[in-house]
Amino acid sequence: MKRILIVDDKATSRELLHAVLAKQGYAISEAANGQEALEKVRAEGPDLVLLDLQMPIRNGYEVLGELRKDAAYAMLPVIALTASAMQGDREKALAAGFTGYLAKPVALSHLREEIQRLLDPGNAVKAGGTF
Amino acid sequence: MTAGNPNLNVQAAAARQEGSFESRFRKLLEAAPDAILEVNPQGQITLLNEAAEKIFGYSRGELLGLNVENLVPAAMRGGHSQHRASYAGHAKTRPMGTGLELQGQRKDGSLFPVEISLSPNWIEGSLHVIASVRDITERKLVEDRIRVLREQYTAELTAKNEQLEARNLEVEQANRLKNEFLASMSHELRTPLHTIIGFSELLTEQLEGPLNEKQHRFVGHILQDARHLLELINEVLDISKIESGRLELKRETFDFSHCLEEVLAGIRQQAASKNITLENKNTFQNTLCADRLRVKEILYNLLSNAVKFTPENGNVWIESADDGKFLDVSVCDTGIGIPEAEQSLIFDKFYQAGDSRKAAREGTGLGLSITKHLVELHGGYISVTSRSGHGSRFTVSFPLAHTPDIS
Repeated sequence: MKRILIVDDKATSRELLHAVLAKQGYAISEAANGQEALEKVRAEGPDLVLLDLQMPIRNGYEVLGELRKDAAYAMLPVIALTASAMQGDREKALAAGFTGYLAKPVALSHLREEIQRLLDPGNAVKAGGTF
Repeated sequence: MTAGNPNLNVQAAAARQEGSFESRFRKLLEAAPDAILEVNPQGQITLLNEAAEKIFGYSRGELLGLNVENLVPAAMRGGHSQHRASYAGHAKTRPMGTGLELQGQRKDGSLFPVEISLSPNWIEGSLHVIASVRDITERKLVEDRIRVLREQYTAELTAKNEQLEARNLEVEQANRLKNEFLASMSHELRTPLHTIIGFSELLTEQLEGPLNEKQHRFVGHILQDARHLLELINEVLDISKIESGRLELKRETFDFSHCLEEVLAGIRQQAASKNITLENKNTFQNTLCADRLRVKEILYNLLSNAVKFTPENGNVWIESADDGKFLDVSVCDTGIGIPEAEQSLIFDKFYQAGDSRKAAREGTGLGLSITKHLVELHGGYISVTSRSGHGSRFTVSFPLAHTPDIS
């Protein structure tokens, strides 16, 4: 069972993502800030991290920077998840080393598709009819 | 011979009447507005004209024989005889004291600015000097006035420039604050919408258990309106980006008919709920070099407007034409149409459909304004033809050969 770490300071957002992804058959754990995220990545070794960008203590960019410094996590799929959908945000995130980028609010089908693409590339779901 | 020329006769008569040549020459000098003085080697005034009396305030009698130094300000008198001696060394006609502010002194002791020109006049081997003295009081006054005005003007200009610079800084700062505010507002609004939309979507999927018909419908309403709210937020952000010139296109080459199909898929449900026939009559099967997401936004805005303003059981269709230079895409409907008087206004910001179309009135009133901006950013244009009660046709033209943006 693939393991996903959900990192978001908003509990309701963690619960939503948890509910959606648990149904897809992933093992989920949660972290509420950047510091906790780094601890959990090291302790649990997830297969993918869904990382909110704006968080207290250590933000998503700082967490990613820490992870990418460590050879063990250089290739770990990390998806940026952010409500800051200004122009250039996606490019900035991808340039910083994120594997994917999702803007809040994210269509559930898009979320599922993106995660499946990264975790199970051979068996990716067909894109949903989202606009 | 003289009798043969009446003019010469007149002149000759005048000469006889008015006196000798010398007398006429004297009159010529007297008529000069400048003071003209002759000074002998001892510095005494030996000849003068009438202007000299007027300018210096002496009578002719007083001036004749007077040492010329009396016409020089007391403070300058010491050096004057020396100057005269040095002039004798290389005497020729020239202005005196070039570059200096020269002054004369009247009999009453008052001083006034002068310009002086000197000429040598050798009489029996001794140097007499002819001085032509011009009172430049008036000119100085004018020059001073001009200088004061110029200084005033320069000072005002400098102050204005400083004000403008300060204002520019303020505008820049206000603009930066506005952008920061927009970015943070966008973030703060999207964060709760993320969970509202996400949980409603999750509920409609019924993965957590079945909903009864009413519950399903209610959650559907929440989802639909939450998505509408998201659209409004995006529109407000778009228009502010467009206005501050920060909206940049990300051009790519893509298949236009695919892109159109995606947009139609997103609009079918809206059309179906009003039993509107949605037809795709596009014939353009080529690629377009444009910002794919923005082209979708343009088409979506036009199609969703067409559905919104078309009554139940109506028709909405999309057709295309290309002449090799432009791709014209028309979104047509059998809707309520736009009165002619309103047709030039509908692309304005915040313009809302008039009373006749109040039923369909919702949204920010930014949709068509944004659409027009997006089309124009692509180097294209948008137009409308419509008849009230009979429907509308919106046509957008995209250039087919993209020339790189010049910015």
